[in-house]
Amino acid sequence: MNNRIELAQRKDAVVVENLQMVYRVGKVDVPALRGVEITVKQGEFVAVMGPSGCGKSTLLHLLGGLLRPTSGRIFVDGIEISAVNDTERTRIRREKIGFVFQRFNLLPTLNARDNIELARRIHGNGYRNGSGLAVDEVLRLLRLEDKMRHKPAELSGGEQQRLSIARAVINKPALLLADEPTGSLDSDNSLLVLQMLQELNIRYGQTIIMITHDLEAASTASRIVEMRDGRILNRVQNLVYAREQGLF
Amino acid sequence: MMKLILSNFLQRPTRTFVSIMAVALGVVLVLVSVGLCYGQLTDTAERTRRIGGDFLFQPSDASLLFALNSGTLPVRIKEVLEKVEGVEAATPILAKFLADRFHLVFGIDHESFEEVNSSLRFVDGALFTQPFEAVVDTVYSTSNQVRVGDEIEILGHRFKVRGVFVQGTASRVMVPLATLQEINGTPEKATMFFIKGRQGVPEEQVYKRLRDRFKHYKITRTADLQEIMASSTPVFRQFVAAVVFLSVVISFLVILLAMYSTITERTREIGILKSLGASRSYIVQLILKESVLICAAGVTVGFILNYLALQLILANFPTMPVSITLFWKVAAAVLGIGGGVMGALYPALKAAGQDPVKALGYE
Repeated sequence: MNNRIELAQRKDAVVVENLQMVYRVGKVDVPALRGVEITVKQGEFVAVMGPSGCGKSTLLHLLGGLLRPTSGRIFVDGIEISAVNDTERTRIRREKIGFVFQRFNLLPTLNARDNIELARRIHGNGYRNGSGLAVDEVLRLLRLEDKMRHKPAELSGGEQQRLSIARAVINKPALLLADEPTGSLDSDNSLLVLQMLQELNIRYGQTIIMITHDLEAASTASRIVEMRDGRILNRVQNLVYAREQGLF
Repeated sequence: MMKLILSNFLQRPTRTFVSIMAVALGVVLVLVSVGLCYGQLTDTAERTRRIGGDFLFQPSDASLLFALNSGTLPVRIKEVLEKVEGVEAATPILAKFLADRFHLVFGIDHESFEEVNSSLRFVDGALFTQPFEAVVDTVYSTSNQVRVGDEIEILGHRFKVRGVFVQGTASRVMVPLATLQEINGTPEKATMFFIKGRQGVPEEQVYKRLRDRFKHYKITRTADLQEIMASSTPVFRQFVAAVVFLSVVISFLVILLAMYSTITERTREIGILKSLGASRSYIVQLILKESVLICAAGVTVGFILNYLALQLILANFPTMPVSITLFWKVAAAVLGIGGGVMGALYPALKAAGQDPVKALGYE
């Protein structure tokens, strides 16, 4: 109960109001989101679950400012990213959002440290950025301190994903968006990555929205949200409820 | 950003190498072509100026590239020229181009030449006094290992070397006018006259009098020779412009192709940069900096290759004049880099405008 009160008092990290997204495929309009409404508090770890094609990835891309919605409003850290132009969305993404992808999306030509440093440079818009976390600290936290000089191809899948998490959080983003972060990993590495995300959430109060098909993965979140047919159906509080609903 | 650029170079060494060499080729093309053209012009103008006359007198349709002219002027015009008020002396010269050696031989009249010229300095021997004697300059002497007393062959005839003079005046080889007229089959004819004005008489006045007296001849101030040569030599400007254009096009196309293919290959990488919040200008800068670095390396390699190419040319044609001014060195560098940057602009803008979601999904 105390936790609920505390959560309610926190500021909103993400607010989504009546979000609609329609893709134009040839001459046909294909709706991907049909009025999504969701609020995520600062420091929350929310898992978004749902079947393929339900609009999870579209929602994540919209939250990250990679896409512009057809209609509706998105606020990230108090700024309406759905109302700004492309340049401003890019700036907000640079300053407030970190991404973790299923396929890691590391730059293959740079070593681990340089991948992280690049994110820091981009955050500083080309200049070395003094704020944010220390590279060594993040690498240590994610147990990558002995892999700093390794290129992504020289790392295991789990290590690559931890590296992509390190890159995503190095600038202390207001929001960490994770798109199926364990989708390409075996169970041991999946567990490790999820533990890391949990640790970041608990230790640094990192707000995380994670998309996943994996119920085990979703169970590490503090809240689970179900999507279907472009809508948020309900909020799943625990695994038992989720299983009862036959979601997974 | 620099690490990313350098790591991309190393990741694709063949592409990087080929791009650098192509830009280098453009630079070499400009420097060698312009160097040889301007070298010929500058050398000719400077040598001509140092003959010592104030005016050059030629038939009206004659070229300032003496190799293109034949001997059509009667030598007796000398007397008429010297009667013009303000003219101190005039000396006839018959010029003959030696295609196999790529230089001119001047046939000069000993006495009148010395009246007009004051810069000819001999390091060994003296000016000829007999037919079939020759004097050569220091470059010719060194490159052909010729000394006073040796014999050289000119136009199928043997000439005895009578003196070696400091290079920079008239032609590499000079022989008696009458001898060259005889060999050339043009007795009593000259290609041109050099006219020396009388001291104390304004040059402009003498020039006007000569122009008034010889309306159907070409009279040129020797001080203006280089400028006039550059502007009036047939196809010179067009040739230089064509070479410069070609060089820019090479740099432009090679960098366009290299950068276009690299951004296609690196679509996903651009998507990643965008997901990290890289702005359009950051991505444009990334591509442009990469192309500038390739072009700068190409320019550097081009300068080295140019030096080697010129050494090779001079080893085979020691008397070939080469002149590459600072202006053309800077121009070659700017053209190489500028062409490359122009070539990279479209791929850079295309990369910056990519949809990040599509780019991230690119296989």
